[in-house]
Amino acid sequence: MIQKRAPEPVGRVVATELKPATPHQFHFWTATETAIGIGAIVRVEGSGTGEEGRVVFGVVTDGFAYSDLATPLHDVVGADGDPARAADSPTVRQEIRLWTAAVLRQEPEEPLQPVPLGRVFVATDPDVARALRMETYLQGATPTAIPVGLYTSGGLEAPVYLDADFLHGPEAAHLNISGVSGLATKTSAVEFLLSSIFQHFPAHKGRIAAVCFNVKGPDLCFLDQPGSLDDADRRRYERLGVAPQPFRRVRYYAPFKADGVNLNTLRTHPDLVGAVEPLVWGLQEVLDFAEVLLNRDDIDAKADAFIDFLADRVLNREFDDGFGGTHRVQTFADLDALFRAIFDGLELAGRSDMWRTHHIATMRKVRNRLSNISTRCKGLVTDDGPSNDLPWGAFEDRAVYVVDLANVDPLGQDLVFARVVSQLREHLERRDLGVEAVVVFVDELNKYAPADGPDTYVRKMLLDISERGRYLGLVLFGAEQFRSQVHRRVVGNAGTIVYGRMDYDELATPGYQVLSPATKIKLATLPIGELMVRHPHFTQPIFVRFPRPAVLRGRDGVERFPPAADLPFADAVVRQLLRLDRRIRPNAVHDLIVDRAPDDVRRALAATRRARPEDPLAFFRRALGARVAAAEPAGRAREAVPPLNPLSDEPY
Amino acid sequence: MRSWADAIVAAGAVRASHVPEESLGRTELSEVAGAELVEDTEVRIHPLDPGGVIAPPATASFLDGIQRWKVTYYDGAVPIVRAYVASAVRRRTGDRRLRVVGETTREFHAAAVAALRPGVRAALEASGVDLVDVPQEALGQPGPALEAARRAVENARVALEKDLAERHLASLGAEEWFVVDGVLSESARLAGHPRALGVIKSHGAQYFEGDALTRALTLPALHRTSVFRPRGRAHHEVYSWYLRLWPWEGNDLLFGLLRVEARAHPATVTAASGVSGWLARERAPVSTPDARWDRLLYPIHDVETYLRARAPRDLLPSPASRLPKAAS
Repeated sequence: MIQKRAPEPVGRVVATELKPATPHQFHFWTATETAIGIGAIVRVEGSGTGEEGRVVFGVVTDGFAYSDLATPLHDVVGADGDPARAADSPTVRQEIRLWTAAVLRQEPEEPLQPVPLGRVFVATDPDVARALRMETYLQGATPTAIPVGLYTSGGLEAPVYLDADFLHGPEAAHLNISGVSGLATKTSAVEFLLSSIFQHFPAHKGRIAAVCFNVKGPDLCFLDQPGSLDDADRRRYERLGVAPQPFRRVRYYAPFKADGVNLNTLRTHPDLVGAVEPLVWGLQEVLDFAEVLLNRDDIDAKADAFIDFLADRVLNREFDDGFGGTHRVQTFADLDALFRAIFDGLELAGRSDMWRTHHIATMRKVRNRLSNISTRCKGLVTDDGPSNDLPWGAFEDRAVYVVDLANVDPLGQDLVFARVVSQLREHLERRDLGVEAVVVFVDELNKYAPADGPDTYVRKMLLDISERGRYLGLVLFGAEQFRSQVHRRVVGNAGTIVYGRMDYDELATPGYQVLSPATKIKLATLPIGELMVRHPHFTQPIFVRFPRPAVLRGRDGVERFPPAADLPFADAVVRQLLRLDRRIRPNAVHDLIVDRAPDDVRRALAATRRARPEDPLAFFRRALGARVAAAEPAGRAREAVPPLNPLSDEPY
Repeated sequence: MRSWADAIVAAGAVRASHVPEESLGRTELSEVAGAELVEDTEVRIHPLDPGGVIAPPATASFLDGIQRWKVTYYDGAVPIVRAYVASAVRRRTGDRRLRVVGETTREFHAAAVAALRPGVRAALEASGVDLVDVPQEALGQPGPALEAARRAVENARVALEKDLAERHLASLGAEEWFVVDGVLSESARLAGHPRALGVIKSHGAQYFEGDALTRALTLPALHRTSVFRPRGRAHHEVYSWYLRLWPWEGNDLLFGLLRVEARAHPATVTAASGVSGWLARERAPVSTPDARWDRLLYPIHDVETYLRARAPRDLLPSPASRLPKAAS
């Protein structure tokens, strides 16, 4: 029989009157040459009377080194005042490496007592699992463990897992990640974690998808493309039990640019653009979230009531304007026609400034705000075309839906964010989204849910997700550079907190007072790929290392797949149609759209895209209608909603 | 106007700061021993190895011992003492760190056995404890009795140190030096070894008189005296010399003053300056906060620290109140 060698202790707990061992903290010394460092997990074995069998796990939070030198002056004396001779002494002074550790777990847990003054061992794989209470969700009939990274110390690489019940609800939910920009930590960590979640999400918890808002550069534009990994990364993937592969199902959504045919994204390389769906919304989609468009000064009961009136009584109905006209409002253009009819009618009738209990100034304000969005977000919001949206009700399991808003006006970003999240919430409430859980990844959280600033619709929505999303399966993965600048209830409701390398000024803010100075220093100097994780099962933060995500990084993706230049209008239309049917001849399309009004072409194109017919060209031809004369059709003086008139005499 | 102090300094007196406890050494060893010079015709002052270029040996071992004791019982007026003595050797190698290579301890009780009442004596002897008999003539007032007990403990420590030193000598490396805290002359094997040195911090014994004594005791820093052969109570013949590690001016005559013992051999005379040179290098690191740091070589201090750390804690002076125990 092979005798297993007993592990050697690396230290011993010491306690003095000034530095006693307590139930939550202890001190131990090691040899000067030791693998122990800040963040190391250790096991203490009690050996005194009544302490046999007691085991305490701790994580090192601080370290001290000192020698038996009574005062620095004695070193000066010993070296005759010559620093060069200070290192020449024949004997090295006695030194100590003294460590402070915070208790992670005691076994048995009751009675809770001070840590025994016993031997200290480096934690093994099973020790790490016990110390972090991971055995409760690693084992059993329905394990819920999600690998998050490797605890590395002294040559040990022990997998660390999060509990899906505490990451996706219902017990706790949400994840918040902080870290300075430019170190490829926040986005990379989320990409790896999403990959891990997709591969380890417990079957009994159902299907899961992710919606990622790409708000800067090409960060999330190549999630379906493999990235480069080195041997160390592959070894870490293997150790974590995660397959190093890009996401299999990724759906990209990006609005058009102002021309309405070229996509507003960096993923426009011919080999990749086919996977990008246009994100186009019409009046219906915008009006539901009109509140997003109104700032605090705008919000009053009158405007609110008028918007409700439009949504309830006007939109998609036959509506009599009271001046003899009948309207069916479906687009911004229809709505503007209604407004013009009302204003003209009031003027011609010489009546008062009131229309159906709404003041004309209120109506002008609402009209201006709505027309403003169609101007500022041209490409996202169509004046008179059909919308193209995320596949509500048909979300696929383990699919990532990337909504690229990197080049969208901030107002439009707010609108998209508010509407997508609201739709997710509504569908999850009705259980008809197609999946049971959705991870929503939002970068720059300090912008959308700032600690200070106006109480915007988006911030209220994020608060709502943070506080109630876990019951629905709506999970927020938020990232930001400065956690202190995010609303405290948003970060406070995150069950799992992840820290990358932190700015030292940020670490000086009150939210980090619970961390020791040594832990702060470690956080301020964390290498790429290392994180500090707080999770409800871990009583102390734990440092883990994660492999590079197996997807193409944004910057590398842009180099490998350079974005295509914007195409002329006609060529862009051809490309859109080619996506639906590669057999279409470009010349045929050119012939069809020559001399046609661009808005007509856009409308026909949108209809074709939405219908996805078997013969797209034929459908497009029908949607485009018969060729008409170059003259403007009667009764269509304007094609777009006019921008806000700066000389308007409205009181707003 | 010059003060009288300035006047005597001007006349040749040297300012000093006398600290009797540290300066007198062990009074029981006070003797006028005498010495025979084996270098020079009179006591002379020699500079150490010029510039201290002789490095300490690559490998060196250091031995020290400790003793602790306390009265644990009185049988009538007879004290019964519990004692602990220990000795250790720590070796220094290329990494300049000291590690234990030999250690020995002894715990025992000491009492004037014949003076104990029969019941107490019988119980003590039946207990199986290591019992050391203290000479009976010391009985009487507590002071002499305790002094006799202390001497018994000290003898036990010296024996322990000697035993460990001789055992360590047997395993001494070819180039390794062995530095002992105290005299070599207690052991024939130590006294005859070419790479054994005794370093004595206490200066109870007097080897010179008159100008020779003055020259020895006012030795400048980083100088040594002529080598001499001590006379008196030495059991085995050795050569010796004084070595000043730190300037004494401003302190006391014995400040920084060591007496070194080595084997009685002509080579010792030749090597005295070189050996003194590397012993002087041992000034750093200084052995503070020990009050004897001026004479205590750091490696010896290190061995002592090690032994103290491992000694039974119940033999430390109790910080508890000495108020009468009500129930006793």
